[in-house]
Amino acid sequence: MSQSSDRPPAWSYWVVLPSFVLLWAVVAWLLKSPLLPTPLNVLDTLMRESASGELWHHLGATLGRVVVAFILAMLLGTAIGVVMGRFRTTNALFDPMLVLLLNLPALVTIILMYVWFGLVEVAAVMAVVINKVPNVAVTVREGARSLDYRLEEMATVYGFTRWQRFREVWVPQLFPYLMAATRGGLALIWKIVLVVELLGRSSGVGFQLHMAFQVFDVAAILAYSLAFIAVVQLIELAILQPLERRSSRWRQPEVAHA
Amino acid sequence: MLELRIAGRSFSQPVLGEVFATIERGDRICLLGPSGIGKTTLLNAIAGLDKTLSAEAIIGREALRVGYLFQEHRLLPWRTLTANLQLVGATAEEAEAHLASVGLKGYGHYLPDQLSLGMARRAALARCLAVKPDLLLLDEPFASLDPVMAGELKTLIAGILDTDPGMAMICVTHDGGDAEILANRLWYLDGKPARLQWDDRVGEPGLIDSLLGRLRQLDPADS
Repeated sequence: MSQSSDRPPAWSYWVVLPSFVLLWAVVAWLLKSPLLPTPLNVLDTLMRESASGELWHHLGATLGRVVVAFILAMLLGTAIGVVMGRFRTTNALFDPMLVLLLNLPALVTIILMYVWFGLVEVAAVMAVVINKVPNVAVTVREGARSLDYRLEEMATVYGFTRWQRFREVWVPQLFPYLMAATRGGLALIWKIVLVVELLGRSSGVGFQLHMAFQVFDVAAILAYSLAFIAVVQLIELAILQPLERRSSRWRQPEVAHA
Repeated sequence: MLELRIAGRSFSQPVLGEVFATIERGDRICLLGPSGIGKTTLLNAIAGLDKTLSAEAIIGREALRVGYLFQEHRLLPWRTLTANLQLVGATAEEAEAHLASVGLKGYGHYLPDQLSLGMARRAALARCLAVKPDLLLLDEPFASLDPVMAGELKTLIAGILDTDPGMAMICVTHDGGDAEILANRLWYLDGKPARLQWDDRVGEPGLIDSLLGRLRQLDPADS
């Protein structure tokens, strides 16, 4: 589960991304088309939107929806996944539904929620949650199935309480699966949130993209996309990676001899 | 203090057949028998891990504190040794003392996977002691240790039993030699389904030798 070891070295990011920006600048300069603004144009738009407060307002709205939908989806998906992984009958009951939901296009859920509940916040968040829960459940179910029966027996013999069993035995074993669900979850959720906003909300990055699309304001589209990529990366660096490092410290300890 | 009334099992090919025995305080039982005959199954049943057994099968277990040394250490790999011992009810000082008593003084902050096999097994033994057990269940405690480490652990366990004469022990082993040092009672499990073929108090000298002789005749591959 250690993704950090598969990562390319840090310099590759500092070489490839600036080269890409350079290429973009050259092509934009050659084309001189309003449909492909230069990087400087985009930066200019970004600064203007930021200074006016528009950017922060819409970023905040989107982020709020992402956070709420993410927490709900993780809680619900984890509960369903654990129960499905531990009990065959529950698995038999839920698995067909899971297959159905996993193959249901996100757009369908969004449209149905808006049609049934109106263009309201609850419908927007629910659409995102319904899209995400099956993924979390499937991932966590794998983890629940692979729980070590030897540690279960140990917990039984030594009279662990339910809470101890959950906290000390289950959560550490499920952690890599929860992390996988979290990573996949954030990537999926923020994309769906943008669609939800585009279709039926009057705030958020998705809404702004919609407005920009209507007037073919490519600079604004790129500016908002960049801002959001930055936020997602910040969450990755500031929250996810430290969390992962902290809880996998016990995995590769050096060995003592005596 | 503990009565076994395991009377065969309902499903088609039970591992355990009828096992009737009473375990008293101070009993040091070595459980011998061919590989794969069901020694660990019997130990698990006594520990209460066999959900297919009826409540009447093991009488008196609820009132007992049981320390179980599994074949693997089964310490929580994400917790230090001290934390592992605290989880079964020891205070920090008690944990330190129990670790010291198995020769792991100062290792409290180590994680289980940082230890060698022999050390991890001793740490697991310390956890058994941390519950202040009435009954100690040992599943092949000397397996895959080199002879020196196995000898040290044998002396350690014998010492633990000597300091608490009220403690009972059941130790699964392949090696009749272990019984000479540890046991005052011998169980021999054999047959399909498995039954206790012998349940002998070790009293007069030479009994173990004669038992070992019979074991070798029965199961030459194992000696």
